[in-house]
Amino acid sequence: METERAMGELRDFKSGKSGKPPRETSPRRLAAIIAGDIAGYSRLMEIDEEGTHGRVKRIERSLIEPSIAEHHGRLVKTTGDGFIAIFDSPVEAVRCGIVIQQQMVGRNASLPRQHWIEYRIGINLGDVIIEAGDVYGDGVNIASRLEGIADPGQVYISGGIYEQIKHKLVCGYESLGDRKVKNITDPVSVYRVLPDPAAFRRTRKRREHILILLLSFVLLVIASGALWYVFWQPHGKLGRQASAPVSPEMPKVPSSPPPTAKQAAPLPQPSTPAAPATPQAAPQVQPVPSVAPAAKQAAPPTQAASPATPATQPTSVMREPEMKILRGGSFTMGSNDDVTEKPAHQVTIKPFAISQYPISVREWNECAAAKACAFVAIGKDDAPITNISWSDAKQFVAWLAGATRKAYRLPSEAEWEYAARAGTQTRYWWGDQFQSGMANCKNCTDIAAAEQPIKVGSFKPNPFGLYDMGGGVDQWVEDCWHKNYLGAPADGAAWGEGECPSHVIRSGSWKNDAQYVRPSNRDGYDTHVRYPTHGFRVALSP
Amino acid sequence: MKITRLIALSIVLTCLSFAAWAQGKPAPKDAVLYFVWPQNGTTIKGGFWCRFGLRNMGVTHAGDDFQNSGHHHLLIDVNEPLDPNEPIAQDKSHLHFGAGQTEARIELPPGKHTLQLVLGDAKHYPFNPPIVSDKISVRIK
Repeated sequence: METERAMGELRDFKSGKSGKPPRETSPRRLAAIIAGDIAGYSRLMEIDEEGTHGRVKRIERSLIEPSIAEHHGRLVKTTGDGFIAIFDSPVEAVRCGIVIQQQMVGRNASLPRQHWIEYRIGINLGDVIIEAGDVYGDGVNIASRLEGIADPGQVYISGGIYEQIKHKLVCGYESLGDRKVKNITDPVSVYRVLPDPAAFRRTRKRREHILILLLSFVLLVIASGALWYVFWQPHGKLGRQASAPVSPEMPKVPSSPPPTAKQAAPLPQPSTPAAPATPQAAPQVQPVPSVAPAAKQAAPPTQAASPATPATQPTSVMREPEMKILRGGSFTMGSNDDVTEKPAHQVTIKPFAISQYPISVREWNECAAAKACAFVAIGKDDAPITNISWSDAKQFVAWLAGATRKAYRLPSEAEWEYAARAGTQTRYWWGDQFQSGMANCKNCTDIAAAEQPIKVGSFKPNPFGLYDMGGGVDQWVEDCWHKNYLGAPADGAAWGEGECPSHVIRSGSWKNDAQYVRPSNRDGYDTHVRYPTHGFRVALSP
Repeated sequence: MKITRLIALSIVLTCLSFAAWAQGKPAPKDAVLYFVWPQNGTTIKGGFWCRFGLRNMGVTHAGDDFQNSGHHHLLIDVNEPLDPNEPIAQDKSHLHFGAGQTEARIELPPGKHTLQLVLGDAKHYPFNPPIVSDKISVRIK
């Protein structure tokens, strides 16, 4: 009996819950602080005050409080739309944050968009003062500032938390750099937690909307430009004929104001033969012309110039591969699925850019045309280039870097896997199970083998917006081949420089099965040997 | 050196690409591909050096299109029949030795495995008739 009581006391002491005699302990302690609040709370209240209030309370009771308790945290207080909790362990705090966000996704799924309750969550590690119903200190302020800058449905963590959890919690982190936050002197380094690809896709969608808007705007501009061009084309021709005899006088003409050009629009008919137009325009140059004919003269210089420019541009300006800038961050490279992929290890990637697609036949042949690449490829222009050795790929990037004066190169193996995982830690970027129609691999699609390799970008992009990161063509990276990751660098640099008999290929090809599509899959191949499924993509240092 | 070799190689390949599909380069009838080591039925502890033997033909780099020569491919636990109209596959069970290697360090998980050699031409196609070794079994302890 006595031992039992003693044990009980010991337990109380250990767990920090003060027993019967209230101990006078310092109210200061180090804690991981979670600050959460609902995005657009006032808007929700406006739509449906009572309903929202009821739902928020229900969420607090059935999700927030139990999640915090489950992860050994303590709910300090709830405000109308938010809460603050403290945890002894940063790992538990972040886990709790992820759990809350994931549960909320499920709860919102059945509701219309405007009724979604989405939390923003910020987590910081700080030395704070704890009192009965509240917690104070700039550690708390930073947590709520992080929460303030977080996107709805996201968990943002500070550098302090990140340092504690990066090797312990298997999920992706995206560095957002140092951010200045309100009323805090020093900038805070901020990381976004990427618990699952779904979260990524949501933010992508938002970006897509903006992109689509921008795109349609650009299209509109182009369309109106084209219309304008089509409309003015005949005058251009007319004008050129007219201006030919009077070319010395031309310098006078361009000064005529654009408004006159507008007026002229409905005037001449394209079908009007050039002959009558010529005498009409020509004599009118010497005297200072009246408004309407002046327009005819105003048109030629602009018209003559505009068709000329697009004609010369393609020859002088080289088309560069479409690149995606990745912000870098930390991730777990490798897996336990294959001996070559062990041990899984943490790698930090610096910001870099990677081409959205594997290099295509068209892009390769530009290099071949410049006599900088070894052979001219045959095949469809938008198919990925194949039958490339590592040294061929190196020749291409050397040429591209020289021609563009940009630091084009092959990606390192770590960069490739980081880009392929796109913030996910699952077997495939879309989850642990293979799904047909997601990648170009053997028995994965309905595409006949004869049409291979099919054009780049035929499948869904991963959450980073990259196509064909897995399946399609094998892709060379900079690294020498090592049979596993023992001794691999953790800084994302290429492993092994210069001469080595074989280099790493990634991605798997259309001739390999689904197992090879996994972002962690890797293999080596002879450096100077070409093989029909081997291609590559390029990277760019900032 | 390397550059000249690459140029030579590229010339050969460009010429090749204009030629008809080089499927099934002819091979001498008396060519024999075999394992020097290990022998069929050998029990091996851990990793081992696998040595390839080739009689009446030469070993060259992949891409080099010399008469009566090719490069080695080691097929591990492969059961599918060889397709003479396709390049020899490249994956974890089809190891390529395009640099002209005649031996390789092999590490396999414990258990019974089969090994077979296939000779490939400049473009990784099997010869006509295919030059393949006997399929041997080894046991890894």
